[in-house]
Amino acid sequence: MRFWGAVAVLLFAGSCLAQETIKIGLITDRVGISKPYSEPATEGAIFGAEEINRKGGILGKKIELLIEDDQSRPDISAALARKLVDQGAVFIISLSLSPATQQQQTVTMEAKTPQMTPMNSADYLTTQLDNPYFWQTGPLGSIQIATLLAHARAKNFKRVALITDNSDLGQAIAKAFKGTLEKAGIQIVADEVVSRGATTAMPQMQKIRAANPEAMFLAGVLTAENVLIFRAYKELGVKFPIHSSYNLSVPIYETVAKGLVNGVTFVDAYDPDKPEVKAFVAAYKKGTGKDSQNLHGYGYDGVMLIADAIRRAGSTDKEKIRAAMQQTNYAGVMGAKGMKYSFADGKRAGFDPNGMVVRVYEKDRQGRVVHVGTK
Amino acid sequence: MQDLLELAVGATASGCIYGLIALAYLLMIRPTGIINFAVGEWAMIGAFGGYVLLTKYEWPYPAGMAVVVAFLCVVGWLTERIAVRPLIERGAPLLAPILALLGMLVVFRETISVSFPPDPMPVPFAFEIQDQKYFIIAVTLAVFAGAWFFFERTLWGKSFEAVALNRRAAALMGINLTRVTAFSFAAGAGVAGLGGLLVAPNVSAQYLMGVPLAIQGFTALVIGGVGRVEGALLGGFLLAFAEQLTIRYAPIPGGYAQGVPLLFLIVFLLVRPSGLLKAKA
Repeated sequence: MRFWGAVAVLLFAGSCLAQETIKIGLITDRVGISKPYSEPATEGAIFGAEEINRKGGILGKKIELLIEDDQSRPDISAALARKLVDQGAVFIISLSLSPATQQQQTVTMEAKTPQMTPMNSADYLTTQLDNPYFWQTGPLGSIQIATLLAHARAKNFKRVALITDNSDLGQAIAKAFKGTLEKAGIQIVADEVVSRGATTAMPQMQKIRAANPEAMFLAGVLTAENVLIFRAYKELGVKFPIHSSYNLSVPIYETVAKGLVNGVTFVDAYDPDKPEVKAFVAAYKKGTGKDSQNLHGYGYDGVMLIADAIRRAGSTDKEKIRAAMQQTNYAGVMGAKGMKYSFADGKRAGFDPNGMVVRVYEKDRQGRVVHVGTK
Repeated sequence: MQDLLELAVGATASGCIYGLIALAYLLMIRPTGIINFAVGEWAMIGAFGGYVLLTKYEWPYPAGMAVVVAFLCVVGWLTERIAVRPLIERGAPLLAPILALLGMLVVFRETISVSFPPDPMPVPFAFEIQDQKYFIIAVTLAVFAGAWFFFERTLWGKSFEAVALNRRAAALMGINLTRVTAFSFAAGAGVAGLGGLLVAPNVSAQYLMGVPLAIQGFTALVIGGVGRVEGALLGGFLLAFAEQLTIRYAPIPGGYAQGVPLLFLIVFLLVRPSGLLKAKA
């Protein structure tokens, strides 16, 4: 009788232990301007957590995602980060806009809670604040333009046009584009902005046409405004090539910009021929019944990187996780073939500068890789 | 010169969209005094209606257009019943329905946001891509001609004018204020939805498209004045031409040209708050 009592106690204790989870906070944007990016990235993160849990979790515990929606608003983002810390999150993954992620850092730095963003591209996230608890694994804006420029170098451009939108991110990417172009001695003969909610981009494209550039660099991240630019480009019948930021890597352009984007080259962090991508695409289809896209990969990689750090830390102690995260050396879905996320000494931006690719739209589809890296 | 001609057609089409949104405001402000900033969200619903009927179910354009406008009229009527009439019947101040309608704005946007995928959705052109501008201009002129005829030549229109001039006196003369208010919201929503449907092939149907359209339409209304139907169209044209000519020809950095509509709004509110066209005596 005493034996069975002991077994019952052990079973009860075991079930209590089994129910214990590792809480990871996830801040996303479900209704704001970043929703088109944040939603698929969040789906990828959820899929990643489910996959880890199916395989037994980490350190014998399941992952529990605590998901919050900050609408990409920095003013409420920090409050949500605080809420997640109070709820016991050992890591926070940020999947909304860069300014919101930046605001969350004020909390994670003070609360000494590890935080990472697998998709934000603003260069300032790891440079403006000296926060040893924050990492960025999304491709930086400066890497994007360096990769695009490396691809365009053979064409020896001297005069180019730059066009963007008035979103925070669009402005940040344009600034990065501009700095790198000017550093390379390339003259920017037209620098235009299409504002959110515009009904046409015709005046901007006329101005660019009048400046007679050899190519146009597109830094905008608002899909609708980018489609206006492509429409005006087609209507005016101009022929200079367009080189775009990673925004064109969002598959929706295959639908909303049908017949407008063929020949446009764009920078991407996703190579469909990479073995990790093929495995992810198959697993995602099997697990969810849906097709995946590159944005799913960002969220998936984010959760996998966190899981990898916790596994190597061997504990949910935040300080140990921080130390393990800094030692990351991990090949994920995103990035060119062979790329691994890692953080150089003292650096917390972990996307390999040579990890991006340039692809081209062909027959209204995102086509082949035409260039890899910044060389 | 070629640039100017291309711009003139484009700005006229943009001005028509702004004018339609301004007309939607005007149809409600004239008899009720209520500024309804949810018109932008009604335009957004019109755009998504175009996506569902014309893209997803591939309806013929005229049928899709008619159903979208009719649906928006019902949405406008329901909005009036839910968010405006109860407040008016309880004698609430004018600010109360305006705030309630701001709440409805959020309800409309969030409903669409959770009902559709996050990406912009394609809406087909009525004709070829290059003919869409002329189609927008033709439809808008027809709508404004109809609105002018309604206000100037029909008894119903006269009753609207009477309510606009003096609400209490109109009620004493036997005009049904409730019906006029309901009709004004239904018509306002129909016109706003049409504006959204017409602009959607260019900008796609997206859940955040409402607020910019609401601001542009309101600015056009302030410029043209709420006194006359033609004012809404005139305001739309002036705003669109000012925006696009500034971007194209003003020697200022691209980003600064975005301030033109707001500058217009401030100048007109300070200098000529009644707008360019004044109401007939």
